[in-house]
Parts: sequence; C-alpha cells; structure tokens
Amino acid sequence: MREMICIACPVGCHLTIDENLHVEGNLCQRGEKYAIEEITHPTRILTTTVKTTCLLNPRLSVKSKDPIPKELLFEAMEILNSIRIENNVKIGDVIVKNILNTGVDMVATRTIIINK
Amino acid sequence: MYDYIIIGSGIVGTTIARELSKYDVKILVLEKENDVANHQTIANSAIIHSGHDPKENTLKAKLCVEGNALYEKMEKELHIPLLRTGAFVIAHDAEEENTLNDLYERALRNGVTEINFYTKQEALKLEPNLSDDITKVLSLPSTKVTYPWEVAFACLENAIINGATFQKDSEVTQIKKTGEIFEVEVNSKEIIQTKSIISAAGVFSDTVAQMIEKDVQYQMKPRKGEYLVLDRKVKGFMKHVIYPLPTAKGKGVLIVPQVHGNILLGPTSTLQDEKELASNTKDGLNQIREDVKYLAKNIPFDQVIRTFAGIRSSSTYDDFFIQESKEVKNFFHVAGIDSPGLTAAPAIAKYLVTEILNAHQLKKNPNFNPIRVKRDAFYHLDDKVQQELIKENPFYGNLVCKCEKITEAEIMETIHGPLGNDTIKGIKKRARAGSGLCQGGYCEGTILRIIARETKQPVNKINYYSKNTPILVQETKVKP
Amino acid sequence: MKIDIAIIGGGAAGLAAAIAANDPAVRILVIEREEQLGGILNQCIHNGFGLHVFKEELTGPEYASRYMDAFYEKNIEFMLHTTVVDIKKTNDFLVTVTSLEQGLQKIEAKAVILSSGCYERTRGSIMLPGERPKGIMPAGSAQRYLNIDGYLVGKRVFILGSGDIGLIMARRMTLEGAKVLGVAELMPYSNGLTRNIVQCLHDYDIPLYLSHTVTNVKGKDRLEQITIQEVDSKFNPIDGTEKIFDVDTLLLSVGLIPDITLFDSLSLIKHPVTKSAIVNQFYEANISGLFVCGNALHVHDLVDYVTIESEKAGKNALDYVLNPRKPSKQVHEIKLNENIRYVVPQMIDFEYFDVPIELSFRVTKKMNKGIFKLIQNDQIIMTKKAKNLAPAEMEKMSLNPNVLIDSSPLTLILEEVEA
Repeated sequence: MREMICIACPVGCHLTIDENLHVEGNLCQRGEKYAIEEITHPTRILTTTVKTTCLLNPRLSVKSKDPIPKELLFEAMEILNSIRIENNVKIGDVIVKNILNTGVDMVATRTIIINK
Repeated sequence: MYDYIIIGSGIVGTTIARELSKYDVKILVLEKENDVANHQTIANSAIIHSGHDPKENTLKAKLCVEGNALYEKMEKELHIPLLRTGAFVIAHDAEEENTLNDLYERALRNGVTEINFYTKQEALKLEPNLSDDITKVLSLPSTKVTYPWEVAFACLENAIINGATFQKDSEVTQIKKTGEIFEVEVNSKEIIQTKSIISAAGVFSDTVAQMIEKDVQYQMKPRKGEYLVLDRKVKGFMKHVIYPLPTAKGKGVLIVPQVHGNILLGPTSTLQDEKELASNTKDGLNQIREDVKYLAKNIPFDQVIRTFAGIRSSSTYDDFFIQESKEVKNFFHVAGIDSPGLTAAPAIAKYLVTEILNAHQLKKNPNFNPIRVKRDAFYHLDDKVQQELIKENPFYGNLVCKCEKITEAEIMETIHGPLGNDTIKGIKKRARAGSGLCQGGYCEGTILRIIARETKQPVNKINYYSKNTPILVQETKVKP
Repeated sequence: MKIDIAIIGGGAAGLAAAIAANDPAVRILVIEREEQLGGILNQCIHNGFGLHVFKEELTGPEYASRYMDAFYEKNIEFMLHTTVVDIKKTNDFLVTVTSLEQGLQKIEAKAVILSSGCYERTRGSIMLPGERPKGIMPAGSAQRYLNIDGYLVGKRVFILGSGDIGLIMARRMTLEGAKVLGVAELMPYSNGLTRNIVQCLHDYDIPLYLSHTVTNVKGKDRLEQITIQEVDSKFNPIDGTEKIFDVDTLLLSVGLIPDITLFDSLSLIKHPVTKSAIVNQFYEANISGLFVCGNALHVHDLVDYVTIESEKAGKNALDYVLNPRKPSKQVHEIKLNENIRYVVPQMIDFEYFDVPIELSFRVTKKMNKGIFKLIQNDQIIMTKKAKNLAPAEMEKMSLNPNVLIDSSPLTLILEEVEA
C-alpha cells in the first residue's frame, strides 16, 4: 500500500494504491492513471545545466524533451556533467541524443554564442 | 626591534598608533584577525557621547568629554564622517524628572558645556515621533554619531603613512621579558622584539596581561549588546540620539540615527562568559522592540534589514584601566574600555602618550602629517566632479551596489588601497557595498568577480571574511 | 537623450511591456542592468512556465526566449549593463542612468514603466537569531550562483521556507551533488505547488517540517549548525521540540519584495500590503505617466500573469503618450473585506472605465469553497464562485463596466462557503 498526492491538477487528491494497482482517493480518471504510472514506471522531466567554454555564460541550461525514468536521473546527471560545450548552440539543439537509451534527447533551452 | 608594539587594531589600538606616530618611535600594530577592527569597534552604537552618563571624577568621564571635542579635529584631519545629531534623554514622570536633573548636574560637573532642558511640547516639535508619554527632556547638543570602523581605518592609515607598521593575522601567543626587551611570540612561531608593549586587546585584555603578569588587576566581564538596523529610507524618523534614563545595567536601549541614514535600535545588556560569541537571541531582539516603544511611537519595525550583536569589554575594574603594569615595566594596560570607549578613544590615546609615557621622553616626529586624504563617495559628489572622474576612470560608470550607490571603481580602490582587503565583508566595511536594503542580494556575485579579477584569484577562493570562508564552495561539473 | 517611454528592467515584465508599447509613433527604450535580457527567467532553468500563454510547458529561459525573439524582431532600442541611478519628475521624467561603457547619461522620457522585479527578504529582515557566520543566503542568490555561474554555495543544506523557490532549490542542489537535510515551513501548510512537494522533496526523501522555523544558527566563521523548532498557533517556538542539523548552508525562501526603491525620492503612494505603488486600472501610479507592472507591482506566482499584466501596462503607456487623458475626478479605492489580502489595481478610475478590468487578488487564508461578491451602493452587482483558494495562488476576476450601477466606490468581499 502506497500513499501519494496526485499532481495531475491543482486539487491534489490524496491517493492510495496497493500491490494490485487498485487506486483509491482519486476524484477523476487522471488520478488513477497517475498513481499507476507512479508505481510502475515513474518518470520525470530533467532540467539541469551543462558546462560551456563561454565566458559570459559558463553554463547552458538544458532539459529532457520528454520525461525519463525517475531512477535514471542521477546517472543522466553524470553524463551531462562530463559535457563541454565549445560551439554556438541554438535553443532546441540536441545536446545528448537518446540519453541512457531512453529514446529521449537532452536539448538546449537557450541560445548561446561562445565568446572565448 | 620596535619601540612599541600595540596589541589590537580596534578603535583604541588604532587611535593610540596614530597618536604615537606623532613621535619619532618605531611602532608595530599586531592584529589577530585578518582585518582592522573586527569586534567591538564594528558592533556598537557609533555614538560620540556628550559625557552626561559616566560617574564623576572617573577617567571615563574626563576622557569622554575630551574625546568628544577631539572628534571635531579628527573630522577635519582624517575626513571621517561625523553626524551632529545632538541627544535627548527623556523622562516620563516626576521621579524620572528628578533623575534627569541629577544627570544635568553630573554632566556639568563632568565638564559638559552645551546642555539644556526642553518641555514636552518643545521636544515633540523637534522630534514628532517621540512617545506622547514624555514629560521633560534633557538636551545634549554636543552628542554626535560617527562611523566607528572608518575612524579606525583612518587612524591606522594615517599612522602607517607616518611610519607605523601593521601586521594582521598575528595573534600574540606568548610574551617574555628578558632584561629590558620584550619577546612577543606571534602565532606560536614568530618572535618580535620590542622595548614596550601597549595592550589594547579589548575583551582579551586579561588573557594578554596574564602572559606577563602574575596578578592581573582586573578580570574581563564580557557583556553582550544586541541591535536592530533599520534601512536608511527611515532617515528623518528621529534626528537626535534618544536615551532613556540610565539604570544599573547601563544606558539602556536607544534610538540612534546613523551617518548614512540608517537608524540603530539597541543595545541590550547581558553578561556572558564567552568572549567572542556575539549572537542575536529571540529574547534580546524582542526586548529591543519592547524597550524602544518607551521612547517613541510609529517605529518602522518593518524596515529592519539586519541584526547584530557586540561584546563590550567590561571588566571588574570600575573605570578605564589605563596604566603601566606594576609588575612589569613598560607593559601598558589599556583595558576595560567599554562605553564611552569609542568617544574617549582619541583622548585615551593622548592621555596614554602624554601622561603615562611621559617618562619615555618621546621626541616629536618632524615629518608627522596629520592629514588623511579621502574623497567622498562618488554619488555624494557633484555632477561636474562625477563626469571628470568617469572620464579618467570608466569604472566609476558601473554601479555595483544599487542600494547604497557604490561604483566598481570605489570597490577596486578599497581592494588595492592602504589597508586594502579582499574579502566580501572587508569590502562592505570599507566601501559599504552590500550594506543596504538587499544586503548584497544583487551585488555579491559582482563583487566576488571584481575581487577575483583584481587579486588574480579564482572566484571560488574569495572569502566572506576569515580564512576559509569561501562563498562559492565548489564548482560543479569539474573534477575536484 | 529624449524618448517617449523608458522601460526599467528587461525581464519578463519589461519585455512584454516593450512589445506592447512598440509603435512607429513613439521611441521606447528598455534599460537593463544585467549583461543580457531575460531577468530572473535566465536562472529559472526548471519548467512550468507558459501553460497559460503558450499552452505549453516551458523552462524559464525558453519562455524568455520567445519574448526576446519578438523583441529583437521589432528592433526596439535597449541598453544592457546599464543601471538607473535616479528618477526625477518635473513635467517629464528625467532618468539618470550609468554604465561602464557610456558613463552617466540623462534621459528625458514622457512616461516610465517600472518593471524592475523584486528582491529577496534576507536573514536580517526576518530577524533570525543566532551567530552571523557565512553560509546563510537567500535561495534565489544560491540559484543564480548554481545555474548561471556554476557553483554550489554549500554541500550540506537546510532550507527555510517551502515556497516554490525553496522547493526548486532543494531538488536542484541535490541533483548537483549537495545533501539537503530538510525544509522548514512556518505555516502548517506549504506555499508551493503540490507538484513541487512531490518532485522536489518526496522524490529525494527530503523531509518537510511544517509549523517549524529556524530558531538558532551556530558557527563562528562558517555555518555549522542550525536548530529548528515547532511553533504554536501564534508562531511562537515550543520548548522541547528542538531539532539540530549539521549544515554548512541555510537557504532562505522567506518572501519577495517589489523593488521600487528608485521611487523613494518621488512622492509615490505605496500600498502597505503589496509594498509597491497603488495603481489604477491602467497600472498607472499616483504620479502621472508612471506605470508599474510585474513583480515590481506585486509578487506573482506565474510568469504568464506577469506577461498579461505587463502587456496591458505597455499599451497604456503608449496611449498615455499618444492621447494624454485629462485628470479624472472619479477615482475610488476598491474596499475589501478581511478575507482578501489585497487587490491590484487598488483604484478604479470611473471616468475612463469603458473596457473590462482584470482584478488580481490574493486571499488571506485557505478556503475549500468561497464566493466573491462585488458590491456597489449596497447592492451585489457581481458574484463568482471559487474553489481551492489559497494565499499562495493569485486569483483573477474580470470586471465589466456594464455591471456597474454608477460611479460610486466598489467593495469586493469573499465569503467562505461551508462544505
């Protein structure tokens, strides 16, 4: 039996879900779907930064284009922490393709021009 | 070999250094912390008292009144800020009025010349925010307010250009006397020789004295005072220093307009064992808020930007302890300098040098230059001067501290100037950058980068104050 | 330099106002103190922005970039790395600005839009007791050091305040290698979005201590330890509930204050609750030609609302310059009951009230169900039901001139509806 707060809408129903994936406490179907996903394969959007060689912008903000499995967040951070951006980047450019084989790209969320 | 080593670079040590540098002697000022003026001198009410409060026929009374007058001269010579606020001591009933009259008599006997009474109506006309419950006011026009650590810097800078030496990060760990020479051990390793020692070690006076005397004549009894700081937009709320009637514990919680427009509320008074634990407490801060309501109405408590506490160098001796050691010749105590220490400081220095060191028959320094040149803050200068300065140095064009209007050039000057400093708090003490409404929220990052650039250090090595207090603890995404 | 509209601050509010004020007949100038436009959005690298305006979930930089693209495309004039020093008014405004590159300059402007954002409350302003070591910092400053400069300000962190900035930083610091030991919140409920409680605290097993506050801070040079205590209904610490944490960093997420210090020298009338200017439906303050919008007017939770409000302010400034209005005699303050903390705009100018006005307001306490009533001449002229009201969530209500009976003052009240 697990307790959680649904985040699908501002109401925030307090849900419980058991081993048989039976959900209680939800006021709508989105809550049921959320609870099942949270138990079976929770995912999150990852937003972070990567290091650049740009003096004005030493960090470039990036995000995962889609949610990735929650348990891979720290591993994804390690991969991203070893990246060095040395060339100009446009918003939306792929920084890491298919990170950790999730099928999800990490993309730049801003445009930077490298001035060395 | 020095003629005089002065232990401590607070207001007392630095004024003594300046006074001594008027003579042809070799002076070294030792400071255990990594900057000038770190404890009591940067945590007090900044008042230059008139002299109504000290007990009669004490050194405190005499040197307070003399010191008050000497600040006028220091203002001209050293370009220190001096706000001529005057002061009111207020009474709320007939009993308090009797005490007020006693204070009046005492002030006259202490040598205060400017003094008069106001009725409730007269006082409220001058200060509309005073409490409506007051009945009579004692006015002390000679009370002033200064910027204490700026005075310490100014005195030490002046002493240095007149030949004195300053050594920070230098804690005196042992003192030995062999014959006529003192061997002062610093940081448990360096030995410096001197003919005389002047101990101005503040709350550590007894610790230092115990290094050389068997029977120290006083014991330090640290007393903490907590304060609230109101933003300088409250300037004008109160124009005079406001005192309640003094009690056995001290002068009480005051309202003190500051040089830059802020107002201080405080101090409290609590005895403690620790010599350097200057923490604020919920009770202390609440007490200030309660006590100050006795003095005034409409107090803008929502404008508090900062709290702080200071430890007074109070001692078991009932006056300033300024004398040569009875056990060890040429060791001079300047101890127990609590209130009115800031006021008395220049007079303490004069008294020490002209009376106590009289026997040393000091020769005057013919090249002594009493003047310290310092320009006002950029945004206090007039348009024409500003334009000229910017043409010479474009860094005056970059406004770094928005709240207090401090430019990049001024910050650079404090990093490199005499007694320059490369810490965030050091810059704050000297240039005021970060002292304002947002308390460094906007400008701290920029100041870090300026210090890093000017001292050629990486930005994550720049300290907040003491060694090993970097603001930026770790760069991310690099191998350590 | 002579211009028509000076816009102070080039973040979300300033960009939106500039785009709306842009017109071939007027010269506008955006003055920005940083070396780039975008304001606080540049450091808000998390997502959740743009749900209303773009119907997409964007990160802060992405949201900013949409407006910056539009801004650059329109060739609107702007100055970077330039700080406004002073604003005076005679007939027009005289804005003194300074920069490293251009020195001191004076700019004459017919109208000024103040879109200068807000600053964070500090340790001093909440009178946090204890020693004063290095390591106590507002959460937004730590966010900037981390996301823009690339530095952690500490490795063992505690956070005071469970507003979104505190929650976001709990997650961010953890992802970048710090250990966050907990978040304390004075109130018995968190101010932040539930989503952030889940994704910033629960995800990382960071405990949330509701009805707790920091009561002591220890450390001579660097922070070493903090003490938190539970508080009672009057927010007084309860003896015996002390919990001690060994940390090197305390981040403060304890409130934001509109940054309108530039107007201390003008006789700007300020509202005691919003701590900013009192404005009419044109977002114009009591000084004619001075418009205020965004966080500089009142602290927002959603940047989308900042944009919408600032577009209106920009358009109004443009109208002011092209068609100056004659001073009105029918300006009234909207009265409120005790359930509404404040409303923006605070004043309604009935002489020029011919298009709907959007009222933004915050309630004083949480309410499951409530009903808003707009009253004029003791008659209820409008009602609106609402659910899940909370002080942390700004509410909106559109006020149409055709519901008015006449030009008498309005009262807005909120009544709780029992479940």
